[in-house]
Amino acid sequence: MIDFLVRNPRLGRLFDLLLPLLATLAALAVGAIMLQLLGANPFVAYRALLEGAFGSQNALADTIVRATPLLLVGLGICIAFRAGVINIGGEGQFIAGALPATLLGLSFPDAPAIIIVPAALLCGFLGGAVWGSIPGLLKAYFNVNEILSTIMLNIIALQFMNFLLRGPMIDPVQLQAASAIPQTARLNPAFDLPRWVPTRLHAGALLAVALAVVVYILLWRTTIGYRIRAVGFNPDASRYAGINVKRNIVLALLLSGAFAGLAGAVQVYGVSHRMITDGSTAGFTGNAGFNGIVAALFGKLHPLGAIPASFIFGALIVGANSLQRAMQVPAALITALNGLVVVFVVCSDIFSRRLARRRQIGVVEVGSKGAGEQGGGGAGERPAAAANVGPPDSGGVKPAPPATAAKVSAPIKPVAPVAGKEASSD
Amino acid sequence: MNDSQLIAVLASIVLQASPLIIAVCGEILTERSGIVNLSLDGTMLMSAMTGFVVGMQTDNYWLGFLAAAVVGAIFAAIVAFGSIRLGQSQVAIGFVLTLLGDDLSAFLGQNYVRMTGAVVPRAGIPLLKDLPILGPILFNQNIVVYFAILLIVATWWWLNRTQAGLRLRGAGERPTAAFARGVDVNRVRYLYTILGGALVGIAGAAYSLNVKIGWSDGHVRGFGWIALAIVIFGGWSPIRGAFGALLFGATKALATVLQRAFPEVSVVAFNAIPWALMILVLLAVGSDYTERFIEVMPRRWQRPLRRILRVSPPMALGTAFHEG
Repeated sequence: MIDFLVRNPRLGRLFDLLLPLLATLAALAVGAIMLQLLGANPFVAYRALLEGAFGSQNALADTIVRATPLLLVGLGICIAFRAGVINIGGEGQFIAGALPATLLGLSFPDAPAIIIVPAALLCGFLGGAVWGSIPGLLKAYFNVNEILSTIMLNIIALQFMNFLLRGPMIDPVQLQAASAIPQTARLNPAFDLPRWVPTRLHAGALLAVALAVVVYILLWRTTIGYRIRAVGFNPDASRYAGINVKRNIVLALLLSGAFAGLAGAVQVYGVSHRMITDGSTAGFTGNAGFNGIVAALFGKLHPLGAIPASFIFGALIVGANSLQRAMQVPAALITALNGLVVVFVVCSDIFSRRLARRRQIGVVEVGSKGAGEQGGGGAGERPAAAANVGPPDSGGVKPAPPATAAKVSAPIKPVAPVAGKEASSD
Repeated sequence: MNDSQLIAVLASIVLQASPLIIAVCGEILTERSGIVNLSLDGTMLMSAMTGFVVGMQTDNYWLGFLAAAVVGAIFAAIVAFGSIRLGQSQVAIGFVLTLLGDDLSAFLGQNYVRMTGAVVPRAGIPLLKDLPILGPILFNQNIVVYFAILLIVATWWWLNRTQAGLRLRGAGERPTAAFARGVDVNRVRYLYTILGGALVGIAGAAYSLNVKIGWSDGHVRGFGWIALAIVIFGGWSPIRGAFGALLFGATKALATVLQRAFPEVSVVAFNAIPWALMILVLLAVGSDYTERFIEVMPRRWQRPLRRILRVSPPMALGTAFHEG
């Protein structure tokens, strides 16, 4: 089947686009087996899932509300991963954005909303940016591994939030009550983001989609984005070309954190209208910081791809919750289902990359064959894998332009130099 | 605090550090061969759950450790297969496995939350445990702690004093050179990734069967990341790594002591201290500024200082190797 897809590039590309969807379906199929084992009818269960996610106006709105923070975090992840830095600090940056935004709203309850709301979103953006730039600076100037530092900053942010919500920022009502739930007071209802009554859909979703376009333009239509992507693609070449690699690493993590922080502010002003904690990170962020990474990977690290990806993920989360209510299956099954989808999507990514590599081999073959003919021989140097790709001129495979030649992945690297050397030596 | 209290605290630090030491030694073996197994956090959650459940069902903690080691080896094998055979990013695979291990352990272990099961009994070593000071700290513990201590020595010896260790380091430092000398680099990497994973699995069970007994959702969350940080802090050396694990245990113990001494300071500050310290430590060992600091020191001090303060990862860490 792989050969078939390699030979038909158009079909192959369609297959690439559908792959995440196919992967989701495959994960749901495995989930069906698990449901069956738990004694629940998988068809009834998935019907409940679909109805819960898309069945009514409210359900659809809930799905979009759930997808919004995933998209915002995912946009930041696109920027960081494109720069070659692995930002796992979404959870902490989400909190770091939500805290100052909430504090602003609580400090000026009587100020006009037209000033407070944009200022609060800006606070969220800046708070996340500060929290994100810490691992950026540490990585760029002190060689600290960003995966570890972001994870630790997540925990520090969480502890700080728990401290603030239990002490200085606690709701005065809760302070009097015996329960003392760690949460802030409700923000002035005037500050709520515009809502599409009667659903819970809020303007944050629109903002997120608009920002997806902005991030796309930033990454692919500006010099800033070009530099960020260049640093991720090949730091050494970028340095040689005069790009300040360190500064761009800091910038990428800063922007990445800023989007996660904005997600936190949007979540507070659009959905929860206060901050509340159960002591764990997931209690406040709903795991958006981690799920955003998955949504971004799901969307192939493309800001526009992240829109449908986070929508599907939001649907899965909302639908799974109603599945759980309808079928009385354990809540942990839902998280396991999410985990399965992640694994399948990543596996599908592996598959499509192999497909791409096969195509690349086809491309190299064209180049090496030309060189071989010129030099008279040397075609036998080609790896066996290239032999079953099919005729090199089939299906519009173009000779490799220099840019793609650089992208040819490692295992076939030796082929090109060998052919080139022979051509020149003859 | 009197002497016996101090000894009790030190003994508890050793106990608390023992799973970390085991995990760190396992990850050092893996990383010295050139593979990063980033799935430690998820692996330890899964193996802690498996170890506890198997130990409880069979009422035999040995079987619990065995099952946990198998789980750890399987997770590591996925990382090795994905990176060596499929040519994928080791970081991406490890991260996804972390998330999966977290979710899957919560799902599979949900019926075993807050139950009692098999635990590793205390077993003092005769004669040695009667030694003054050292006896109660090191030798009046149990099999897990002794295993951790032996593992430090064994890992160091294996890495630095055996043929196999030389091949292992060759695969991680200069795989092409090792390959030219007849080492099957990828086979070595498979071997030590899986072996390291099995040790990480044992570390997970060491929590649920010995140090933090029982199982609950997210029971050992965070310790895997700590172990990864300690590997870097330890400069990929088991002895330094063990020192790092003890240091981390000590900061946690110190936080508890300080908290009792200063009840007016928020508990949060003390909870956050070990993590903040970890960042500072990572900052110190990797930074170019440390090198500059060493260079202004007297010539005679430079070498020992560099050995203490600087670390550098195995040269081929995280990169794929292709024959020919």
